[in-house]
Amino acid sequence: MQSAVHWALLGLVIERPSYGYELAHRFEHAYDGMLQLSGFSYVYTALDTLLCRGMIEEISGTRTGRQPKPRYRATAEGVRSYQERLIAQMREDFRRSRLFARQLAVFAQEPEIALDVIERYGQACLEEAGETPVLAPAGPCADPVSGLAARLVSEERRLAMGARLPWIDYARREFKALAAGRIQPR
Amino acid sequence: MSVLELEHVSKCYGQLNEHVALCDASLKIEAGEMVVVWGMRRSGRSTLLRIAAGIEKPDTGVVRFEGQDLRARSSRALGEGIGYCRKRFSPSEGRLVIDQLITGLIARGLPPTLAGSRARAALERAEIGACATLRPAELDYAEAVRAAIARSLAFAPKLLLIDEPTIGVDLLARDGILMLLHSLAQQGMAILASTGESTSLSGARALTLSDGELYGQPARELATVVPLRRTG
Repeated sequence: MQSAVHWALLGLVIERPSYGYELAHRFEHAYDGMLQLSGFSYVYTALDTLLCRGMIEEISGTRTGRQPKPRYRATAEGVRSYQERLIAQMREDFRRSRLFARQLAVFAQEPEIALDVIERYGQACLEEAGETPVLAPAGPCADPVSGLAARLVSEERRLAMGARLPWIDYARREFKALAAGRIQPR
Repeated sequence: MSVLELEHVSKCYGQLNEHVALCDASLKIEAGEMVVVWGMRRSGRSTLLRIAAGIEKPDTGVVRFEGQDLRARSSRALGEGIGYCRKRFSPSEGRLVIDQLITGLIARGLPPTLAGSRARAALERAEIGACATLRPAELDYAEAVRAAIARSLAFAPKLLLIDEPTIGVDLLARDGILMLLHSLAQQGMAILASTGESTSLSGARALTLSDGELYGQPARELATVVPLRRTG
Protein backbone atom coordinates (compact mmCIF):
# COMPACT_ATOMS: atom_id res chain seq x y z
CA MET A 1 0.00 0.00 0.00
CA GLN A 2 1.75 3.14 -1.22
CA SER A 3 -0.78 5.90 -0.60
CA ALA A 4 0.23 8.18 2.28
CA VAL A 5 -3.44 9.09 2.67
CA HIS A 6 -4.40 5.44 3.22
CA TRP A 7 -1.77 5.09 5.95
CA ALA A 8 -2.82 8.35 7.56
CA LEU A 9 -6.45 7.20 7.64
CA LEU A 10 -5.38 3.90 9.18
CA GLY A 11 -3.53 5.94 11.83
CA LEU A 12 -6.67 7.89 12.64
CA VAL A 13 -8.69 4.66 13.01
CA ILE A 14 -5.98 3.32 15.36
CA GLU A 15 -6.21 6.55 17.36
CA ARG A 16 -9.98 6.24 17.70
CA PRO A 17 -12.66 4.15 15.94
CA SER A 18 -14.71 6.36 13.59
CA TYR A 19 -17.19 6.28 10.71
CA GLY A 20 -16.37 7.53 7.21
CA TYR A 21 -17.61 11.12 7.28
CA GLU A 22 -16.14 11.70 10.75
CA LEU A 23 -12.80 10.35 9.53
CA ALA A 24 -12.76 12.83 6.65
CA HIS A 25 -13.17 15.72 9.11
CA ARG A 26 -10.57 14.31 11.48
CA PHE A 27 -8.18 13.87 8.57
CA GLU A 28 -8.49 17.53 7.52
CA HIS A 29 -7.89 18.68 11.10
CA ALA A 30 -5.00 16.30 11.86
CA TYR A 31 -3.07 16.56 8.60
CA ASP A 32 -3.70 20.18 7.67
CA GLY A 33 -0.77 21.36 5.57
CA MET A 34 0.78 17.89 5.42
CA LEU A 35 -1.62 15.72 3.41
CA GLN A 36 -4.70 16.46 1.38
CA LEU A 37 -7.80 14.43 0.49
CA SER A 38 -8.83 14.62 -3.13
CA GLY A 39 -12.41 14.59 -1.84
CA PHE A 40 -14.44 13.33 1.12
CA SER A 41 -15.60 10.32 -0.94
CA TYR A 42 -11.99 9.17 -1.22
CA VAL A 43 -12.20 8.15 2.43
CA TYR A 44 -14.67 5.40 1.51
CA THR A 45 -12.34 4.12 -1.22
CA ALA A 46 -9.49 4.04 1.29
CA LEU A 47 -11.65 2.31 3.91
CA ASP A 48 -12.54 -0.40 1.37
CA THR A 49 -8.84 -0.98 0.68
CA LEU A 50 -8.02 -1.17 4.39
CA LEU A 51 -10.93 -3.60 4.94
CA CYS A 52 -9.79 -5.81 2.05
CA ARG A 53 -6.27 -5.94 3.49
CA GLY A 54 -7.59 -6.86 6.93
CA MET A 55 -6.13 -3.75 8.53
CA ILE A 56 -9.46 -2.50 9.84
CA GLU A 57 -12.81 -4.10 10.62
CA GLU A 58 -16.35 -2.88 10.98
CA ILE A 59 -17.60 -2.75 14.56
CA SER A 60 -20.65 -4.93 14.67
CA GLY A 61 -23.92 -3.28 15.60
CA THR A 62 -22.95 0.17 14.33
CA ARG A 63 -24.72 -0.13 10.96
CA THR A 64 -28.13 0.88 12.33
CA GLY A 65 -30.76 3.59 11.83
CA ARG A 66 -32.03 5.30 8.71
CA GLN A 67 -28.58 6.63 7.88
CA PRO A 68 -26.21 3.84 8.93
CA LYS A 69 -22.82 5.00 10.05
CA PRO A 70 -20.67 1.89 10.33
CA ARG A 71 -17.70 2.52 12.58
CA TYR A 72 -14.32 1.01 11.94
CA ARG A 73 -11.54 -0.06 14.27
CA ALA A 74 -8.03 -1.23 13.57
CA THR A 75 -7.12 -4.90 13.64
CA ALA A 76 -3.91 -6.21 15.24
CA GLU A 77 -2.58 -6.65 11.69
CA GLY A 78 -3.42 -3.01 10.94
CA VAL A 79 -1.52 -1.76 13.99
CA ARG A 80 1.50 -3.94 13.16
CA SER A 81 1.56 -2.79 9.52
CA TYR A 82 1.25 0.84 10.63
CA GLN A 83 4.27 0.44 12.96
CA GLU A 84 6.32 -1.05 10.13
CA ARG A 85 5.26 1.77 7.82
CA LEU A 86 6.40 4.43 10.34
CA ILE A 87 9.88 2.91 10.51
CA ALA A 88 10.11 2.46 6.72
CA GLN A 89 9.05 6.08 6.23
CA MET A 90 11.86 7.32 8.46
CA ARG A 91 14.36 5.24 6.50
CA GLU A 92 13.01 6.80 3.32
CA ASP A 93 13.61 10.27 4.84
CA PHE A 94 17.24 9.33 5.61
CA ARG A 95 17.68 8.10 2.05
CA ARG A 96 16.21 11.32 0.64
CA SER A 97 18.62 13.46 2.70
CA ARG A 98 21.58 11.44 1.43
CA LEU A 99 20.28 11.74 -2.11
CA PHE A 100 20.05 15.52 -1.81
CA ALA A 101 23.64 15.76 -0.56
CA ARG A 102 24.90 13.47 -3.32
CA GLN A 103 23.03 15.36 -6.02
CA LEU A 104 24.35 18.69 -4.77
CA ALA A 105 27.91 17.38 -5.15
CA VAL A 106 27.52 17.27 -8.95
CA PHE A 107 28.22 21.01 -8.83
CA ALA A 108 31.77 20.54 -7.55
CA GLN A 109 33.04 22.11 -10.77
CA GLU A 110 30.45 24.90 -10.60
CA PRO A 111 30.34 25.79 -6.93
CA GLU A 112 28.44 29.04 -7.53
CA ILE A 113 25.43 27.02 -8.65
CA ALA A 114 25.69 24.83 -5.55
CA LEU A 115 25.94 27.93 -3.36
CA ASP A 116 22.75 29.27 -4.93
CA VAL A 117 20.95 25.97 -4.16
CA ILE A 118 22.31 26.08 -0.60
CA GLU A 119 21.10 29.66 -0.11
CA ARG A 120 17.62 28.76 -1.29
CA TYR A 121 17.55 25.66 0.86
CA GLY A 122 18.79 27.73 3.80
CA GLN A 123 16.08 30.31 3.26
CA ALA A 124 13.43 27.58 3.12
CA CYS A 125 14.77 26.18 6.41
CA LEU A 126 14.67 29.61 8.07
CA GLU A 127 11.10 30.13 6.93
CA GLU A 128 10.14 26.68 8.21
CA ALA A 129 11.87 27.43 11.54
CA GLY A 130 10.14 30.79 11.89
CA GLU A 131 6.75 29.35 11.05
CA THR A 132 6.98 26.64 13.70
CA PRO A 133 4.99 27.82 16.69
CA VAL A 134 6.17 27.85 20.27
CA LEU A 135 3.50 25.80 22.01
CA ALA A 136 2.41 26.06 25.60
CA PRO A 137 3.74 23.22 27.75
CA ALA A 138 1.51 20.22 28.34
CA GLY A 139 -1.38 20.92 30.64
CA PRO A 140 -4.99 19.91 31.12
CA CYS A 141 -6.45 19.79 27.64
CA ALA A 142 -9.88 18.96 26.23
CA ASP A 143 -8.29 16.82 23.52
CA PRO A 144 -5.04 15.32 24.89
CA VAL A 145 -4.32 13.39 21.67
CA SER A 146 -4.32 16.44 19.37
CA GLY A 147 -2.37 18.43 22.00
CA LEU A 148 0.30 15.74 22.13
CA ALA A 149 0.34 15.44 18.32
CA ALA A 150 0.83 19.20 17.91
CA ARG A 151 3.70 19.23 20.43
CA LEU A 152 5.43 16.22 18.86
CA VAL A 153 5.13 17.68 15.36
CA SER A 154 6.39 21.08 16.53
CA GLU A 155 9.36 19.62 18.41
CA GLU A 156 10.31 17.38 15.47
CA ARG A 157 10.30 20.39 13.11
CA ARG A 158 12.39 22.44 15.52
CA LEU A 159 14.96 19.79 16.39
CA ALA A 160 15.33 18.60 12.78
CA MET A 161 16.37 22.15 11.95
CA GLY A 162 19.15 21.74 14.50
CA ALA A 163 20.76 19.22 12.14
CA ARG A 164 19.98 21.02 8.89
CA LEU A 165 21.39 24.43 9.76
CA PRO A 166 24.89 23.17 10.69
CA TRP A 167 24.87 21.00 7.55
CA ILE A 168 24.06 24.07 5.43
CA ASP A 169 26.85 25.95 7.18
CA TYR A 170 29.24 23.08 6.46
CA ALA A 171 28.20 22.70 2.80
CA ARG A 172 28.47 26.45 2.27
CA ARG A 173 32.06 26.42 3.57
CA GLU A 174 32.98 23.49 1.32
CA PHE A 175 31.61 25.11 -1.82
CA LYS A 176 32.97 28.55 -0.92
CA ALA A 177 36.40 27.00 -0.59
CA LEU A 178 35.93 25.38 -4.00
CA ALA A 179 34.77 28.68 -5.47
CA ALA A 180 37.84 30.40 -4.05
CA GLY A 181 40.00 27.72 -5.64
CA ARG A 182 41.50 26.82 -2.29
CA ILE A 183 40.82 23.12 -2.68
CA GLN A 184 40.34 20.87 -5.66
CA PRO A 185 37.37 18.50 -5.79
CA ARG A 186 38.48 14.92 -5.22
CA MET B 1 11.72 54.19 11.11
CA SER B 2 13.26 50.94 12.29
CA VAL B 3 14.11 50.50 15.96
CA LEU B 4 17.49 49.04 15.03
CA GLU B 5 19.32 49.28 11.76
CA LEU B 6 22.71 47.86 10.90
CA GLU B 7 24.02 49.04 7.57
CA HIS B 8 26.97 47.22 5.99
CA VAL B 9 28.59 46.58 9.34
CA SER B 10 31.96 44.84 9.48
CA LYS B 11 34.14 43.96 12.42
CA CYS B 12 37.47 42.15 12.56
CA TYR B 13 39.69 41.06 15.41
CA GLY B 14 43.32 40.05 15.65
CA GLN B 15 46.55 41.89 15.14
CA LEU B 16 46.16 41.64 11.39
CA ASN B 17 42.37 41.74 11.45
CA GLU B 18 42.57 38.11 10.40
CA HIS B 19 39.45 37.00 12.27
CA VAL B 20 36.32 38.34 10.60
CA ALA B 21 33.50 38.53 13.15
CA LEU B 22 31.05 40.46 10.98
CA CYS B 23 31.25 41.01 7.26
CA ASP B 24 29.05 43.60 5.56
CA ALA B 25 26.08 42.73 7.76
CA SER B 26 22.85 44.61 7.23
CA LEU B 27 19.75 44.16 9.34
CA LYS B 28 16.60 46.10 10.24
CA ILE B 29 14.36 45.35 13.19
CA GLU B 30 10.98 47.00 13.72
CA ALA B 31 9.01 47.58 16.89
CA GLY B 32 7.10 44.46 17.90
CA GLU B 33 9.39 42.17 15.99
CA MET B 34 11.46 39.27 17.29
CA VAL B 35 14.54 38.42 15.27
CA VAL B 36 16.69 35.42 16.17
CA VAL B 37 20.11 34.85 14.63
CA TRP B 38 21.38 31.28 14.63
CA GLY B 39 25.08 30.55 14.29
CA MET B 40 27.75 28.06 15.23
CA ARG B 41 30.34 28.96 17.86
CA ARG B 42 32.62 31.78 16.73
CA SER B 43 30.25 32.67 13.91
CA GLY B 44 30.08 36.28 15.10
CA ARG B 45 26.71 36.18 16.83
CA SER B 46 27.89 37.68 20.14
CA THR B 47 29.77 40.41 18.28
CA LEU B 48 26.57 41.21 16.41
CA LEU B 49 24.73 41.77 19.69
CA ARG B 50 27.50 43.83 21.27
CA ILE B 51 27.66 46.06 18.20
CA ALA B 52 23.86 46.39 18.13
CA ALA B 53 24.01 47.44 21.79
CA GLY B 54 26.70 50.01 21.13
CA ILE B 55 29.08 48.20 23.47
CA GLU B 56 31.49 47.70 20.59
CA LYS B 57 32.04 49.91 17.60
CA PRO B 58 32.05 48.48 14.09
CA ASP B 59 35.17 48.88 11.94
CA THR B 60 32.99 50.00 9.07
CA GLY B 61 29.28 50.57 8.60
CA VAL B 62 26.63 52.30 10.65
CA VAL B 63 24.39 51.19 13.53
CA ARG B 64 21.27 53.24 14.13
CA PHE B 65 18.89 53.07 17.06
CA GLU B 66 15.59 54.80 16.26
CA GLY B 67 17.27 56.47 13.32
CA GLN B 68 20.15 57.90 15.33
CA ASP B 69 23.72 56.78 14.73
CA LEU B 70 24.86 54.98 17.88
CA ARG B 71 28.25 56.71 17.63
CA ALA B 72 26.47 60.04 18.11
CA ARG B 73 24.62 58.88 21.23
CA SER B 74 26.06 59.26 24.66
CA SER B 75 27.66 56.35 26.46
CA ARG B 76 24.38 56.07 28.39
CA ALA B 77 22.58 54.74 25.29
CA LEU B 78 22.70 51.30 26.86
CA GLY B 79 19.94 51.38 29.41
CA GLU B 80 18.17 54.25 27.68
CA GLY B 81 16.12 52.45 25.11
CA ILE B 82 18.48 49.53 24.60
CA GLY B 83 18.45 46.62 27.03
CA TYR B 84 21.34 44.19 26.83
CA CYS B 85 20.67 41.09 28.92
CA ARG B 86 23.63 40.16 31.03
CA LYS B 87 23.11 36.72 32.52
CA ARG B 88 25.83 37.07 35.12
CA PHE B 89 25.09 38.54 38.51
CA SER B 90 27.83 40.31 40.39
CA PRO B 91 27.80 40.16 44.20
CA SER B 92 28.76 43.83 44.23
CA GLU B 93 25.35 44.67 42.71
CA GLY B 94 23.36 43.20 45.56
CA ARG B 95 22.83 40.13 47.66
CA LEU B 96 19.33 39.26 46.44
CA VAL B 97 17.81 39.07 42.98
CA ILE B 98 15.71 42.17 43.55
CA ASP B 99 18.76 44.07 44.82
CA GLN B 100 20.47 43.34 41.51
CA LEU B 101 17.69 45.23 39.73
CA ILE B 102 17.37 48.04 42.25
CA THR B 103 21.11 48.79 42.25
CA GLY B 104 21.11 49.46 38.52
CA LEU B 105 18.04 51.67 38.73
CA ILE B 106 19.44 53.72 41.61
CA ALA B 107 22.70 54.10 39.70
CA ARG B 108 20.62 55.66 36.93
CA GLY B 109 19.30 58.23 39.38
CA LEU B 110 15.96 56.74 40.44
CA PRO B 111 14.87 57.28 44.06
CA PRO B 112 15.03 54.02 46.05
CA THR B 113 11.24 53.68 46.49
CA LEU B 114 10.56 54.09 42.80
CA ALA B 115 13.49 51.77 41.98
CA GLY B 116 11.98 49.11 44.28
CA SER B 117 8.54 49.23 42.71
CA ARG B 118 10.01 49.28 39.19
CA ALA B 119 12.19 46.25 40.03
CA ARG B 120 9.26 44.27 41.46
CA ALA B 121 7.11 45.06 38.40
CA ALA B 122 9.91 43.90 36.07
CA LEU B 123 10.33 40.64 38.00
CA GLU B 124 6.57 40.04 37.83
CA ARG B 125 6.57 40.75 34.09
CA ALA B 126 9.33 38.18 33.63
CA GLU B 127 7.18 35.76 35.71
CA ILE B 128 9.81 35.45 38.37
CA GLY B 129 8.34 37.58 41.14
CA ALA B 130 8.55 34.65 43.55
CA CYS B 131 12.35 34.63 43.25
CA ALA B 132 12.83 38.28 44.22
CA THR B 133 14.26 37.49 47.64
CA LEU B 134 16.45 34.59 46.56
CA ARG B 135 20.18 34.90 46.04
CA PRO B 136 21.20 34.73 42.37
CA ALA B 137 23.19 31.56 43.09
CA GLU B 138 19.96 29.86 44.15
CA LEU B 139 18.32 30.35 40.74
CA ASP B 140 18.21 27.55 38.21
CA TYR B 141 19.18 28.31 34.57
CA ALA B 142 15.69 29.25 33.45
CA GLU B 143 15.13 31.49 36.48
CA ALA B 144 18.51 33.15 35.95
CA VAL B 145 17.58 33.96 32.34
CA ARG B 146 14.25 35.39 33.45
CA ALA B 147 16.00 37.46 36.13
CA ALA B 148 18.42 38.77 33.50
CA ILE B 149 15.50 39.70 31.27
CA ALA B 150 13.78 41.39 34.22
CA ARG B 151 16.94 43.40 34.92
CA SER B 152 16.72 44.79 31.39
CA LEU B 153 12.95 45.25 31.53
CA ALA B 154 13.31 47.48 34.59
CA PHE B 155 14.65 50.15 32.23
CA ALA B 156 11.66 49.79 29.88
CA PRO B 157 13.80 49.28 26.78
CA LYS B 158 12.48 49.59 23.24
CA LEU B 159 15.08 47.12 22.04
CA LEU B 160 16.04 44.01 23.99
CA LEU B 161 19.23 42.14 23.09
CA ILE B 162 19.83 38.69 24.47
CA ASP B 163 22.59 36.19 23.79
CA GLU B 164 21.63 32.51 23.97
CA PRO B 165 18.38 32.86 25.91
CA THR B 166 17.82 29.13 26.21
CA ILE B 167 21.31 27.70 26.58
CA GLY B 168 21.50 25.30 29.50
CA VAL B 169 17.78 25.66 30.13
CA ASP B 170 15.74 22.53 30.80
CA LEU B 171 13.81 21.37 27.74
CA LEU B 172 10.42 21.98 29.32
CA ALA B 173 11.35 25.42 30.69
CA ARG B 174 12.86 26.50 27.35
CA ASP B 175 9.56 27.30 25.64
CA GLY B 176 8.37 29.33 28.61
CA ILE B 177 11.30 31.70 28.08
CA LEU B 178 10.62 31.91 24.35
CA MET B 179 6.95 32.62 25.05
CA LEU B 180 7.99 35.41 27.41
CA LEU B 181 10.17 36.97 24.70
CA HIS B 182 7.38 36.65 22.13
CA SER B 183 4.91 38.26 24.52
CA LEU B 184 7.31 41.20 25.01
CA ALA B 185 7.50 41.58 21.23
CA GLN B 186 3.72 41.47 21.02
CA GLN B 187 3.64 44.42 23.39
CA GLY B 188 5.77 46.41 20.97
CA MET B 189 9.34 45.69 22.03
CA ALA B 190 11.91 44.89 19.35
CA ILE B 191 13.95 41.82 20.25
CA LEU B 192 17.21 40.58 18.82
CA ALA B 193 18.45 37.25 20.15
CA SER B 194 21.33 35.06 19.12
CA THR B 195 21.34 31.32 19.50
CA GLY B 196 23.14 28.11 18.71
CA GLU B 197 19.92 26.12 19.17
CA SER B 198 17.46 25.76 16.31
CA THR B 199 14.53 25.47 18.70
CA SER B 200 14.87 29.16 19.63
CA LEU B 201 14.05 30.23 16.07
CA SER B 202 10.39 29.28 16.41
CA GLY B 203 7.92 32.02 15.63
CA ALA B 204 10.66 34.58 14.95
CA ARG B 205 12.22 36.11 11.85
CA ALA B 206 15.11 33.70 11.64
CA LEU B 207 18.55 34.45 10.20
CA THR B 208 21.83 32.60 10.24
CA LEU B 209 25.33 33.90 10.69
CA SER B 210 28.24 32.07 9.11
CA ASP B 211 31.81 33.35 9.17
CA GLY B 212 30.45 36.81 9.97
CA GLU B 213 28.00 36.85 7.05
CA LEU B 214 24.28 37.17 7.70
CA TYR B 215 21.87 35.02 5.70
CA GLY B 216 18.11 35.34 5.61
CA GLN B 217 15.73 38.25 5.36
CA PRO B 218 17.57 41.41 6.47
CA ALA B 219 14.29 43.32 6.86
CA ARG B 220 10.70 42.47 7.65
CA GLU B 221 8.66 41.68 4.59
CA LEU B 222 5.78 44.07 4.50
CA ALA B 223 2.42 42.93 3.19
CA THR B 224 1.60 44.15 -0.29
CA VAL B 225 -0.68 47.18 -0.19
CA VAL B 226 -3.74 46.49 -2.31
CA PRO B 227 -5.57 49.68 -3.30
CA LEU B 228 -9.27 49.67 -2.57
CA ARG B 229 -11.31 49.37 -5.71
CA ARG B 230 -13.89 52.06 -6.17
CA THR B 231 -17.31 50.63 -6.96
CA GLY B 232 -20.06 52.29 -8.98
